Amino acid sequence: MKKHIFRSIVIVALSVLVLSFIVMLTVMYRSLVEEQRQQLGTKLAIVAHGAEEGGIEWLDSLDIKGYRITLIAFDGVVLYDSIADAATMENHLDRQEIVEALQSGTGESRRISSTLTEKTFYQATRLTDGNILRISITSNSVLSILLGMLMPVLLILVATIVISSFLANRIAKRTIGSLNTLDLEHPLNNNTYDELSPLLLRIAHQQRQIESQRSELNKKRDEFSLITQSMNEGLVLLNDKGVVVSINPAAQQVFRTDSSGIGKDFLVVERSSEIRGVMKTAAESGHGQVKLRRLGRRYEINASRIDFNDETVGTAILVFDVTEKSLLEQQRREFTANVSHELKTPLQSIMGRAELIENGLAKPEDISRFVNCIRTEASRLLVLIEDIIHLSQLDEGGELPWENVDLHQIAKETLDVLQDAAGTKNIRLLLTGSPVTVTGVRGLLGEIVYNLCDNAIKYNTEDGLVEVSVSGDEDTAILRVKDTGIGIPTEHQNRVFERFYRVDKSHSKETGGTGLGLSIVKHATLLHNGKIDLRSKAGQGTVITVTLPRH
Amino acid sequence: MRSRFDEQLALLNRELIEMGALCEEVISIAAKALLSGDTDLAKQVKPLGDIIDQKERTIEALCLKLLLQQQPVARDLRQISAALKMITDMERIGDQAEDIAEIIRYLEGRTGNDRGPIGEMATATIKMVTESVDAFVQRDMELATEVMKYDDVVDALFDEVKTSLIDMIAKHPEDGEYALDLLMIAKYFERIGDHATNVAEWVLFSVTGVHRRERMT
Repeated sequence: MKKHIFRSIVIVALSVLVLSFIVMLTVMYRSLVEEQRQQLGTKLAIVAHGAEEGGIEWLDSLDIKGYRITLIAFDGVVLYDSIADAATMENHLDRQEIVEALQSGTGESRRISSTLTEKTFYQATRLTDGNILRISITSNSVLSILLGMLMPVLLILVATIVISSFLANRIAKRTIGSLNTLDLEHPLNNNTYDELSPLLLRIAHQQRQIESQRSELNKKRDEFSLITQSMNEGLVLLNDKGVVVSINPAAQQVFRTDSSGIGKDFLVVERSSEIRGVMKTAAESGHGQVKLRRLGRRYEINASRIDFNDETVGTAILVFDVTEKSLLEQQRREFTANVSHELKTPLQSIMGRAELIENGLAKPEDISRFVNCIRTEASRLLVLIEDIIHLSQLDEGGELPWENVDLHQIAKETLDVLQDAAGTKNIRLLLTGSPVTVTGVRGLLGEIVYNLCDNAIKYNTEDGLVEVSVSGDEDTAILRVKDTGIGIPTEHQNRVFERFYRVDKSHSKETGGTGLGLSIVKHATLLHNGKIDLRSKAGQGTVITVTLPRH
Repeated sequence: MRSRFDEQLALLNRELIEMGALCEEVISIAAKALLSGDTDLAKQVKPLGDIIDQKERTIEALCLKLLLQQQPVARDLRQISAALKMITDMERIGDQAEDIAEIIRYLEGRTGNDRGPIGEMATATIKMVTESVDAFVQRDMELATEVMKYDDVVDALFDEVKTSLIDMIAKHPEDGEYALDLLMIAKYFERIGDHATNVAEWVLFSVTGVHRRERMT
């Protein structure tokens, strides 16, 4: 910029200098020459007049500085010269001024010396005696004037350059200076020269564009982080060098790190062999999956390579907590196995006996016992299937009749029914508490009380005690069934409410039951929005407390 | 130029973490095999040990390349030279885990669990290796110092194992060979603890430039 300005100024200054120089020189030189000619003419007239009077002697006595006077005979022979020796001079007849003077009385010419630096003006006139008088003056030529002026011109040139560079500097500084102090944040608030306005307008426009793009980007980023923050699944994003770009709180928990993990190599955060393996698989085949056990939970890790334009730009790692899922899977597997087992056992015993009777292998006196057996097993099967149907009904939660029921009354009726069963083991049944009405499904509440009491009797010892108490306050009703039975070991307490779960794995038929009782209790209680509390110690009996909201 | 160097240093770091993780893995497998008497598990140790050896050579080559091509100074030089020393110790950890696995195969299914505090020793050594690698990964000076101190615990446990094995030989002379095998295993564990200590020392050195209380650069 500075260079450009400097060059322009110098070019302008030089061209002005050269042009005015040429014009001045021509005009001045011309008037100078004219003046010289006139002076020469005047001098010639005076000298000619003198020469006519005094002859060569007068000429010789004449002393005019700067002028050269020559007297030439009509045949060209030099008679007198004020500077050189006339005798040695050549014939002047061929000189232009002489020729002219011989013909018309006066003549003039100018000649440039061989060195080009001097110029001589000649004027000649014919005297009355026929001789010719010539006067001449030598002056500097244009070139020598030029040469003489060279020094001052050079000085002017230097001055021009110095001034130009100074000006260029200043202009550039002023232009750039106002550019540098521009407030680019608010381009339209600047007070500068008009030429900058289009630029400022463009900057303002671009700034608005950038701003809108940035806010769009921010919005997207916020959305993304909001989604990942609230995700239950862990999400880790890595760039192509394996450095963590983003890791959400769920993943931070699994990989035991915090947000400081961002920007670090993922290996720094997590280096277990499972993860290294799945990362390798993902890098090679695009996707990898692995199961990870950590802190008592199970996770499924999915790693996917992210490709863009055939180039790997990173890896995404998704972490799912599959603890519940795998637990449910296990439960389902056990349930299926249990159902098949429970259904098959009575059927096999029925089949076996029926076959014996069919083939006539059974002794007549045994047949009635066999038939009795078949009936018992079949009814067991029936109870089991009823229980299963019952449970699936509870699962589906269909429409059930809700009414006001007296829990105490139900307990009393249930204990009456169970009196016989208790009698066989000499177990005492005790009901305490007062009538409490709850809003619920009569049948289901009956199931709860029945199953709890049935279990309390079934798993009791000889001469034991079952104590049922019903109590309540304004909002809740409490049913407590306490027995003095074999109890439930701590490790089984969490699972006894699962379908078919038995503490005694042998599924002994001794106690009867289907393993579905407590499961029904649990579901019925949940349906009434109640809670179950189980306290038990192996060998010391069990207390099960069911808390139900009254309304 | 520098960015390329940084990239290579990052690669070195990754490789070292991987090697450390492999060491953790190999020793926990060896310990598990010992405590459960599972010879199949013990057989998995050898291939892992081979991978560790390979890793050592890779890292060694990388370090030498960095030293020659980049001529690092100060912190970078410390990091690379510490890496060179660390991999030797890590490789030894791998070798010793292999040795333990080798002995387990001769135990014919007998485990170390029921005799003396050797299980405790295994746990303590695994802890040391894990923490020394952790100290390297996180550049955690405190943890590195802790590892170095913890070596005394392992040494004490070794003495305990020794005493209990002497007892055992006195009571059941027929179990002499078994007791000696266990003693060897305990010694290997003790050595692994020493190597973990070395690793921790080199971690300290790579950050502070001080090795065993002696300023080296």
